[in-house]
Amino acid sequence: MRTKDFAYWLFLAPVLIALTLVVIVPMLLGVYYSFTSWNGITTGEFVGFQNYIDLFKDERFLASLWFTTKFSVISVILINFIGLSLALIVTSRIKTSNLLRTTFFMPNLIGGLILGFIWQFIFIKVFASVGEMVGMESLQVWLSTTETGFWGLVILMSWQMAGYIMVIYIAYLQGLPKELLEASEIDGASSFQRFRYIVFPLVAPAFTVSMFLTLSNTFKLYDQNLSLTGGGPYNSTEMVAMEIFNTAFVQNTFAYAQAKAIIFFVIVAIVALFQVYWNKRREVEM
Amino acid sequence: MAKLLMDQLTKTYDNKVTAVENFNLTVEDEEFIVFVGPSGCGKSTTLRMIAGLEDISSGTFSIDGKKMNEVQPKDRDIAMVFQNYALYPHMTVYENMAFSLKLKGMPKAEIKDRVRNAAEILGLMDYLNRKPKALSGGQRQRVALGRAIVRDAKLFLMDEPLSNLDSKLRVQMRTEISKLHQRLKTTTIYVTHDQTEAMTMATRIVIMKDGVIQQVGTPKEVYDQPDNVFVAGFIGSPAMNFFNGRIEGNYFVMGQTKLLIPDSALPEGLDNQEVIIGLRPEHITHKPVKDESTVEVNLDVVELMGSEYMVYATLEGHSFVGRVDANLDLAAGTVFPMAFEMDKARFFDPTTEKRIK
Repeated sequence: MRTKDFAYWLFLAPVLIALTLVVIVPMLLGVYYSFTSWNGITTGEFVGFQNYIDLFKDERFLASLWFTTKFSVISVILINFIGLSLALIVTSRIKTSNLLRTTFFMPNLIGGLILGFIWQFIFIKVFASVGEMVGMESLQVWLSTTETGFWGLVILMSWQMAGYIMVIYIAYLQGLPKELLEASEIDGASSFQRFRYIVFPLVAPAFTVSMFLTLSNTFKLYDQNLSLTGGGPYNSTEMVAMEIFNTAFVQNTFAYAQAKAIIFFVIVAIVALFQVYWNKRREVEM
Repeated sequence: MAKLLMDQLTKTYDNKVTAVENFNLTVEDEEFIVFVGPSGCGKSTTLRMIAGLEDISSGTFSIDGKKMNEVQPKDRDIAMVFQNYALYPHMTVYENMAFSLKLKGMPKAEIKDRVRNAAEILGLMDYLNRKPKALSGGQRQRVALGRAIVRDAKLFLMDEPLSNLDSKLRVQMRTEISKLHQRLKTTTIYVTHDQTEAMTMATRIVIMKDGVIQQVGTPKEVYDQPDNVFVAGFIGSPAMNFFNGRIEGNYFVMGQTKLLIPDSALPEGLDNQEVIIGLRPEHITHKPVKDESTVEVNLDVVELMGSEYMVYATLEGHSFVGRVDANLDLAAGTVFPMAFEMDKARFFDPTTEKRIK
């Protein structure tokens, strides 16, 4: 390879410097701090793997990790299912498709915190009123139990992200060659068979992108969690991001929180890489 | 095996643009019909109406006496080959060909038989496990043909199937499709803009322009007896030469040039009339004996094709092409006597552009 000249590095420098200052250095520092007893003010002493050993015995952390995993799996499935369904609806020949696209995408334009409060109002006030009217007790206790808190979060997340994912699916659906669908029509495929054998396999690349986005978004969820349930009742709907935040800024055990963050990072990275690799293998080149 | 009837078939888009107008055609069983015409003449639209991919605005289309206007494509018992092959990229060659049979719920063993049979005919046995991506253009087109063959459909529709291939492969596939038709005898409708394909493959040619049929006939008929200037100019390569002039007695006169027309070739009642005459390049040639239909012309371009010359020249403001035997010594820029075989001339009305018989 030719040696890169001065100008090459000069042009690269702004990005390299910025990246180093705001990503690489903090990351390395973070790793270092996770091996200390740092409390936010004094660096403290080097404690080796103590923080890591502690966190695997920390029930609150493990519970939040399990809760987050459950939430992510269900949300990813739901969001992709709803997103693809919406995309199929708005790419079919219906007159209001442009209006529908806008409507479906809209939730994504509202910030997470506000969304959380809106849905909190819906779940607590609206659901309760409706429950009172129809005499269904189960509707009157939303967000006050772990179960309803969990599903509340799932509904909120699906409602917000499905429209966004829909846009990705629309792009791929519209990129499908028209003749392929016509050929399958002539080959005798019904609409369902056409979807099952032709459309579905050919939008595989969209799955890679969509699943990556939904997975990383649901795993890292914080603001919706904060505003909708605040982790309650009794921290039972606390997700990992919030748990780490509380460890650091409420309990002031910064180094310990840092160790949790690093474990969390590793998990998200492994899951994301694995799913991209797995989905890529299924993709077809046109 | 099918007999098709197209009666007053019309396609209009948004009640404004008419793509096909009053298309009338009866196709007999086992025929190989070629729709030919320039881009935008409505030939593909007509084919797509026959396939059911395009709604019929008015008129009727029937197969074996059964009206098909409202019938879904999948229930018409047709097979279609597309211009860009339209192979399913995620399926192997075998799966591509087996797809329609699988949808029909055919037993696996029979699917296997049929696919292998078709693959053998098309020389695809070695490629059955490949994906379309790993095939050349010609192989892909063969798979597309195979997908049609296994269906054992009543009717084959082919929409410019060879236009994505290079010229050598096109000639080869052309003969293969012709052979296939002789073997399977399935009624076929083939769309192309290439008049050579139309001439070489068709039992009958349908020539279209601006959504309207110009002429229907066997290749020989449309070549020898074109109904109008458009057909005469479209069929044949190089195209027919046209000369505007008038008839005076037994002579065709343009400017200073007078050409004698034999009595037998001259339609009646043309004396003192303006006409367009059409002469094919092979009828403007060299004859050892000069007569009243020989003209000295200045040769603009001379192309040696091997066995003959294509000679480009201008006469009274009309450029034309002639064919001359390659045994002679010809050079551009020289003057050469060209013989116009006026007994082969076709006469057209200059206003309607229809042939005067």
